[in-house]
Amino acid sequence: MAELALGASGRRFFAAPGRTLSLFVLAVVAILIAAPLLKITLVTLAPETLGAWRDVLSSRLSPNLFYKPLTNTMIIGAAVAGGCVLIGGFLAWLVVMTDVPFRRSIAVLSTLPFMIPSFAAAMAWSVLFRNERLGGQIGFLQGLGLDIPDWLAWGMVPSLIVLITHYYSLTFTVIAAALATVNSDLVEAAQMAGAKRRKVFFGIILPVTLPAVIAGGSLAFAGGVSNFAVPALLGLPVRMQTLSTRIFGMMEVGQTARGYVIAILLVLISAFFLWLGNRLITGRRSYATITGKGGRAKRFDLGGLRWPLCAAAIGISVFATIVPIFVLIASSFAPSSSALFSNWTLHYWIGQSTPSIAQGLAGIAYNPDILSALTITLGLGFTVAAVGTVLGLLVSYSLVRAKRGVVPTTVSQLCFLPLFIPGIAFGAAYIALYGAPIGPFPALYGTFALLVLAATAFLLPFAVQTGRAVIQQVSGDLEESARLTGAGFLRRLSAITIPLSIRGLSAGALLVFVKIVRDLSLVVLLFTPTMPVLSVVAYRYASEGFAQFANAVAVVILGISVAVSLLANKLQAKSQPWLKN
Amino acid sequence: MKSLLQSVAVVALGALALPALTLSALAADMDKKSPEELLDAAKAEGQVVVYSFTSRIKKVEAAFEEAYPEIDLVGYDISSTEQITRLQAEHQAGVANADVVYISDAPVVFDKLLGAGIIGPYVPPRVADRVPAEFKNPLLAQRLSTKVLMYNEQSHPDGPPVSNLWELTTAPWKGRVVMVDPLQRGDYLDLMTEIVLQSDAMAAAYEAQFGKTIALASGVNNAGEQFIADLFANDVILVGSTDDVNAAVGKLGQSNPPIGFTSYSDRRDNAEEGWALQLANSVEPSPGIVFPAVLGIAEGAKNPAAARLVIDFLMGDESETGGAGFKPFYVPGDYATRTDIVPHPDAVPLSEFAAWRVNPEKTATIRAEVADLVLTLQ
Repeated sequence: MAELALGASGRRFFAAPGRTLSLFVLAVVAILIAAPLLKITLVTLAPETLGAWRDVLSSRLSPNLFYKPLTNTMIIGAAVAGGCVLIGGFLAWLVVMTDVPFRRSIAVLSTLPFMIPSFAAAMAWSVLFRNERLGGQIGFLQGLGLDIPDWLAWGMVPSLIVLITHYYSLTFTVIAAALATVNSDLVEAAQMAGAKRRKVFFGIILPVTLPAVIAGGSLAFAGGVSNFAVPALLGLPVRMQTLSTRIFGMMEVGQTARGYVIAILLVLISAFFLWLGNRLITGRRSYATITGKGGRAKRFDLGGLRWPLCAAAIGISVFATIVPIFVLIASSFAPSSSALFSNWTLHYWIGQSTPSIAQGLAGIAYNPDILSALTITLGLGFTVAAVGTVLGLLVSYSLVRAKRGVVPTTVSQLCFLPLFIPGIAFGAAYIALYGAPIGPFPALYGTFALLVLAATAFLLPFAVQTGRAVIQQVSGDLEESARLTGAGFLRRLSAITIPLSIRGLSAGALLVFVKIVRDLSLVVLLFTPTMPVLSVVAYRYASEGFAQFANAVAVVILGISVAVSLLANKLQAKSQPWLKN
Repeated sequence: MKSLLQSVAVVALGALALPALTLSALAADMDKKSPEELLDAAKAEGQVVVYSFTSRIKKVEAAFEEAYPEIDLVGYDISSTEQITRLQAEHQAGVANADVVYISDAPVVFDKLLGAGIIGPYVPPRVADRVPAEFKNPLLAQRLSTKVLMYNEQSHPDGPPVSNLWELTTAPWKGRVVMVDPLQRGDYLDLMTEIVLQSDAMAAAYEAQFGKTIALASGVNNAGEQFIADLFANDVILVGSTDDVNAAVGKLGQSNPPIGFTSYSDRRDNAEEGWALQLANSVEPSPGIVFPAVLGIAEGAKNPAAARLVIDFLMGDESETGGAGFKPFYVPGDYATRTDIVPHPDAVPLSEFAAWRVNPEKTATIRAEVADLVLTLQ
């Protein structure tokens, strides 16, 4: 009897519309995201590796292994969040709320820095500010005869500056979007009631945009905490370690258990702070700011400050965008970065091997390692963009269809989990799981498939976001009518949803492409000599003292990244409400 | 019915076991072959992958492909530390990317790679009688390499600016001693380990330098550890690669150059790179270490014949300087293990070279401890 009932409910379970899809999606997400994290935790709990927890947390090694890197990581996270909110918020306020000249140009410039890979920005810093501490090549400014102190050349200060210039465009976008929703009626009402500017700012604008400020700040925090390239390039020479560089160091010298433990701790820390940020926002439920038709408020009259503030805004953008691009390009031609504009040569691009230059390395156009890295990187970008977008579409479809229940909730939480996981920790987890054969399946270590799996999982949150937006855009009526005519799921997807939303989908896919092409932190541990990717090749050249080659490769990545981002922006015809008058 | 199943199983097992048997028999057979006898099989393989701890593999690649145009040598320059990690991971994953492994870090290699069956030995029969036994066992050593104290001879034309290692821990050298992070490069960890193993000599040198017996700080076990602790306390500069050390120490035109631990053989690049590197051979108690660079064949190598051909090539030809294959290593500061290759005229002869000879087995016993010590000092 019981068996019969079970059978009946079982049949209903599977017959329910979309059930198969849900379970399929759950399985995929479990394999991609849950399994590696579970595995890395289990590995550190095995009897022979359990000691690693003590080494990391309470032994004579722990200050250097964990606590000092943790402190540095927290300082970076907090300072990057603060700096980004200040700069991004300032720019957003200028663009949205004031009558500053060249508003549109400032808005566009403010979104650019994020397109520059952070390791490229760090290399550019090195080209300009490197001093004599490490010997070898000195930077451009030192070459001009300026005496660059250690604190400006290496360590915390340059790391912070580079990270803030990298992430402030993120906070700008978030805060600008929120400011644009501030209803002019509120501001005008306050002004009519005689409120001073200061009062308007602290009484209305700040509270209303607070969620965006916190969201932007926590994104910048998470970015700073998980960034690997910048502290590795600018901090390691002065022994400044962060949790990311420690994980990399431990994995590289084969102390994997300690590396895994630090990776788990890093995941927990970033997850805690992002959760905290979310918590602060959701604590207050209502942030409804759009109430009927409010016109755009009269812009703040900056008066005599119009031009100085405009100059400041453009100055920031030039420093964060144009200078690094320009410096990297110049230094890929200059034999010595201390004389950035002298003796330019195309050797680093198209030169044949000469024993007297860089130990006989040929220019990047003739370097087979770089050519294969380029092919693999582009292949990886396309594959991940395609696979990720399809998967993102399936996941969001299954989520929209089945709104409640254990399965959709689990799927939804799992597929946004990678947002909380620093790339290097994710890479470590992937090595822990897929580095050895699983049952009949061969190990994926060093294969293209491993790169694709890890990158797809890592970028799934973005793909799902795109998928959701797209599916919500397409009216449910169309779906319903198609279903009434008997069209199956795949048919509806391919005949209705995809064609109608192809622009949004391609824009999303392009963004995934860019994110993986310029990523370093995820792939740096998955890299093998036989499966090279461009960003790691550039990083290795940079850390081995072949600055020009590193910079030339960075220019290539930068070119791909900027071109594809601009294309994506165009396709998306991204609504930028703050530009409307 | 049962017997039928059994016989099927036996046949199946036999079919599985057969290739394995022939492979190992083939390998044993190959070990005895001359390069001429290996050539046809190597040509059929067409390619060979070498993991090398030195960037000189690019020069070897060019020379090898000139000698054997039908075989494509793919050389990767990967530090020894990283090679060990990669090879272990690849072995665990059941993939054999590399054919030839050219590596230093003998203490770890003997234990973790050879001991675990990740690589195996091969001594080319052509040169076997001209390599002393200590360099054929447990792996073939192609040459001896070094990590020693080097100074800038342009700025110090009258000889090294220091006469005792302990001077590096004194105020004049604060922030002016350069080396590669011992946690990133195994040969530097071996140098640190050897300093600890040579604690008696270090204690004597301390007394010679400061005129009193060494007093150990709390938690420090011996004079070698004390030296490492003092060196780090004196702001030793850690960089990522030996080329960074070379450029820092050796660059021409410096008024007050730093001093550093690097490879004696990098002196070969002085003219090309604009350096003035010179060995501080007279420093007490020793300028550093000399250690073997070993060659092995990866377990399950896809190109076994070509791999053996590469190792034969790397050991040098019949001329007295080893010819094209050994040319990148026939430089002052590298010491061939083959007895019939004449010592390089511009280097201190091995018999007068004061560096400590690393004992891989002894080093292996305390290496992890020294690594942890270095970790606490950073």
